Amino acid sequence: MSDHLPVLMFLSPLMTAIVLPVVGLARRAWSRPLALAAVSVMAVLSLINLVVVVNHGTIRYTFSGWAAPLGIEWVDDGLASLLMVTVSVLSLLAMIHAGFAEPSSLGGRVVPYYALILLLIASLTGIVFAADLFNVFVFLEVAALAGYALVGVEGGKSLVSAFRYLILGTLGSSLYLLGVAYFYAATGTLNMMDLAERVPALLLSKAVVGGLIFLFLGLGIKMAVVPLHGWLPDAYTHAPDAVSPFLASLVTKVALIAWVRIMFWVVGPNAEIEHVPVLILLEEVGAIAAVVGAVLALTQTELKRMFAYGGISHIGLILIGVSLGNATGFAGGVFYLINDAVMQAALFFLAGVAGVRYGVRTLEDVGRVRGYSPWMTGALIIMAMSMVGFPPTGGFFGKWYIILGALEARNYLAVGAVVLATLLTLAYWIKILERVFHSGRPSSVASPLDLPISLKVSVGTVSAAIILLGLGSDPIIWFLRTVAVPPGL
Amino acid sequence: MVDLLEAWLLRPNFLAFVILFLWGLYIMVARHNLVKKLIGLYIVQTSVLLFFIALSAKTGATVPVLVPAADGIQAAAYANPLPHVLTLTAIVVQVATLGVSLALVAVIYRTYGTLDEEDILKKLE
Repeated sequence: MSDHLPVLMFLSPLMTAIVLPVVGLARRAWSRPLALAAVSVMAVLSLINLVVVVNHGTIRYTFSGWAAPLGIEWVDDGLASLLMVTVSVLSLLAMIHAGFAEPSSLGGRVVPYYALILLLIASLTGIVFAADLFNVFVFLEVAALAGYALVGVEGGKSLVSAFRYLILGTLGSSLYLLGVAYFYAATGTLNMMDLAERVPALLLSKAVVGGLIFLFLGLGIKMAVVPLHGWLPDAYTHAPDAVSPFLASLVTKVALIAWVRIMFWVVGPNAEIEHVPVLILLEEVGAIAAVVGAVLALTQTELKRMFAYGGISHIGLILIGVSLGNATGFAGGVFYLINDAVMQAALFFLAGVAGVRYGVRTLEDVGRVRGYSPWMTGALIIMAMSMVGFPPTGGFFGKWYIILGALEARNYLAVGAVVLATLLTLAYWIKILERVFHSGRPSSVASPLDLPISLKVSVGTVSAAIILLGLGSDPIIWFLRTVAVPPGL
Repeated sequence: MVDLLEAWLLRPNFLAFVILFLWGLYIMVARHNLVKKLIGLYIVQTSVLLFFIALSAKTGATVPVLVPAADGIQAAAYANPLPHVLTLTAIVVQVATLGVSLALVAVIYRTYGTLDEEDILKKLE
């Protein structure tokens, strides 16, 4: 039974996504409970799976009995099991939150919305588990297709953003597929374990180097690393408020994990191309992304757009962390990734509430929030602390271990980039909080009790999770350094 | 230089792939009409498929259906089925993308009454 956990976690949302439109045709009101049930099952399974992986080690799942290099294989190791807990629990919270945002922001398209969200979650599960380059491509495309449709589901302005996302996202998939073709041409296999045996010896081959570049370009568009981030701000800003938490917290991070899988489990952390270590290049890309993203966030006036650029900056920080070439930095990077998923979900929950309930979309209006809801203001302060990196929030410990890793690698450029990005993050949060507390319009119009329970649960849980991740950072970092660490680090 | 040119001309399939890929990319960047942008995107996608097919081409090989022969199975006599299967899967994925993108374009046309990117951006402001 426990051997089938990965595939059960995948089938629970996928099967529901297929059944849901049929059920929704007859009973529209059933679509939400059905979707919630599917994701709850998935969350419970992911927790069981984490326990099983910690106690019994990696689960390798082969489909229809074809053994690894011939058939498709899924690997459920420490990294994947921890990420699945993040993905499924955040999906559950985002779905609870969607109950609040959905009626006004979806234009009545509730049934397709839930079907697409479940499809998105299922394909993200596939990307996390897949140990086969082509399998990753298929799930990337399914996730992207669900994403395009979800961004555009509201109609109006979001259609153009969805179209731009589609053009760039599909170009990214094509580049990734091209990279897969190069790797296949050079090695004759697509299985990651099999590739890991052959690729390190072939790093002088132009096909492998070219393939690696195309894989990074493709996944770079998906994860919105800085020069390739053009689609993200528009898509996240104009996406319905019930959709943007899913996209912001999960889609880019899972693409980043797909890259981490290829970089560390296939190519290996010590890979050098013409005496240039690949990890150094990655770290520099990350440093540029971290700083440029934060600078762009500072110049925004729209709340959701500012948070979107904040997410772009964090992708850079995570890239710096994982590419320092030691276990401390890797653990810090992945820990920061989990934190960032929680923080982005929380930020877009808050931005969604502020928009739907109070009509607050820009920085000018943000001062009104304090008058309406002290709880939301409190949650906003916790977010700010974690985004900037004050202890005891998770954001602090993520950055702490990234900097420790950078010092261990004697990489002072990375330290400087993390510190600079932190200062810039502080600057744009001061901009937000200054508007909250000094706009001089705290007149209470709606009572604080006005907020529905689904919203309190989702925002309260993510705020608590940010603090808990900080307080419980020790065991998670220990887990990442010992169980989830890639070979050779 | 001559060696390079010779190497290119000996592999017309790959040359066609490069031309198609860059051509599609150019159309995506240069055209303002949304449907034309999509056409460029499909040319890019199809060129990648051509690349897959080209690298699996094999002269004198037969379809990969195993026939029991007296001297056992000769692996060299069959074409490699994997790139073809991957291509087939990628085509399915592309058809799905085509459906979603054309639906999006149709809704954009109904909303804005035009397919020209410049006009749509003007109407957005």
